[in-house]
Amino acid sequence: MRRGWLMALISANLAVLIALVFIYPHLMVSPGPVVSAHAEINTDCFACHAPLRGASSGRCIACHALSDIGLRSSKGVPLVQKTKGLKASFHQELIEKDCVACHSDHRAPRLTQRSRKPFSHDLLRVAVREQCASCHVAPTDKLHSKLSANCKQCHGQQAWKPATFDHGKFFVLDKDHNATCETCHTGSDYSRYTCYGCHEHTPAKVRAEHLKEGILDYENCVECHRSGDKHGLEKKDTRRKKDAHRDRHKD
Amino acid sequence: MSLKARLFSREVLPFYLALGALMALTLLLDALLHVFNLVWIGRYLGIPGVLLILGSFGYSLRKRKLIGAGKPVQLLRWHEGMAWAGSLLVLVHAGIHFNAILGWLAVLAMLVNVASGLTGKFLLDRARRRLEEARQRMRQQGLSAAELEDRTYWDSLTFDAVKQWRAVHFPITLAFGVLTLAHLVAVFLFWGWK
Repeated sequence: MRRGWLMALISANLAVLIALVFIYPHLMVSPGPVVSAHAEINTDCFACHAPLRGASSGRCIACHALSDIGLRSSKGVPLVQKTKGLKASFHQELIEKDCVACHSDHRAPRLTQRSRKPFSHDLLRVAVREQCASCHVAPTDKLHSKLSANCKQCHGQQAWKPATFDHGKFFVLDKDHNATCETCHTGSDYSRYTCYGCHEHTPAKVRAEHLKEGILDYENCVECHRSGDKHGLEKKDTRRKKDAHRDRHKD
Repeated sequence: MSLKARLFSREVLPFYLALGALMALTLLLDALLHVFNLVWIGRYLGIPGVLLILGSFGYSLRKRKLIGAGKPVQLLRWHEGMAWAGSLLVLVHAGIHFNAILGWLAVLAMLVNVASGLTGKFLLDRARRRLEEARQRMRQQGLSAAELEDRTYWDSLTFDAVKQWRAVHFPITLAFGVLTLAHLVAVFLFWGWK
C-alpha cells in the first residue's frame, strides 16, 4: 500500500517535470541561453532545429537571406559596418552554406571553452580567398599605400600579425644593425631609408670612403651593401659598381 | 576490535569509500579531459555510461525471473560494478557545468540511485552476515530447529529492512529511468548527429 503511494507520488512528480519541459524548454532542455538577438524565439526550439537532424542552415537562411548577411538585418534594416578594415560581407562567397560550422546560437557555459569556432579562410571560394581586397580594406599607412605586392607575401591567413616580411631580402639585420625601425625609416615611411641615422655612418665618412675607391654613386647603400659584412658582398659589389661607373663615363 | 570500530570498518567506511571514489574519479577524469583539451570526449561518454547501466539491469530481470540465464549472485556483482562504472561515465559526461535542468535532474536521480544502491548493498551484506553469525551461534548451543527459528525471528527483520529498501529503490530507479529517457529524447530531437 505504502509502495503504491510512493509510486503515485513519484509518477506525479515526473509528469510535472515532463510538462515543464514543454512549457519552459529554454530552461529544461536548452544547453544555454540563446544570443540576445534571438531572445524572441527563445522558447521556439524548432525555429532553428529540425527534428532529429539538429540545427539546420536552411532554417537560418529562411530568416537571414544570404544576400543580406552583413548588409541588412533580418528585418531589412541597413547595418552599420562595425569591424574596421573589413568590407560588408563575405558570407555570399562561402564554399558551403553551413552556418553552424562557425555559429552557435547557445552561449556556452562559463567554464567550458567557447563553442563558436573561429572563421577560417578555407571556407571561402578559392578565387575569393586569393583576393584579400574583396573583404579587407587595404591599410592606408605610408608602408602599405605604396605597395603593389600581394598581401600574402608578408601576411598569413590566420592573423594579420605577426607579418612574415623578410627584411633580410633587402638588408640583413645582424647584431650591429639590430636597430629600431625609426633609426633607418624616419617618419615611419618604410618606402625610404637612411644609413646616416647611425653615428657610425656619417655622410662625410661614407663619402670619403667611397671616393677613395672611385665610387661616385653611393647614395643607395643597399644596392651594394645587402648586409653589414664589409668583407663579403661589399668588395665584389664595389668593384662591379666601380666598373659600371667607368663604363658609364666611357659612353 | 570494539563493536563500534567493527561497525565503522565493515559497514560505514566501505559505503563512503565507494561513493567517495566515484566522486574523486569523476573529478580526476574531468580535470584530465580539460588539461589535455579533450572535453569533446566527455560529451560522448554518456553513451557507454547509459549502455553500462542498461547492462546492469540484467540482474533485475533475473531477480524478477524475466530471464533465466546467469547465477543471481554473480549477476548481482555485475549489477553493482556496471552501475558504478556507468554512473562514473555519466558523471564525467555531465561534467561540472550547469546546462539544461532536465539533464541535471537525470544526474541527480542517478546519484540518489547510486546512493540507494550502495545502501542496499551494505544492508544486504550486513543482514546476511548477522543472520549467519546468529544461526552458527545457536547451532553451537544445540538449539532445536523450532527454537532456532524463534530466536532468529528478530534477525530476519533485518531482511525485512532489505525488502523495504527494495520497495524504495525501485521507484527511485524508475524516476532515474524516466528522466534519462526524457534527456535522451531531447538530445536525439535537437542534436545534429554529424
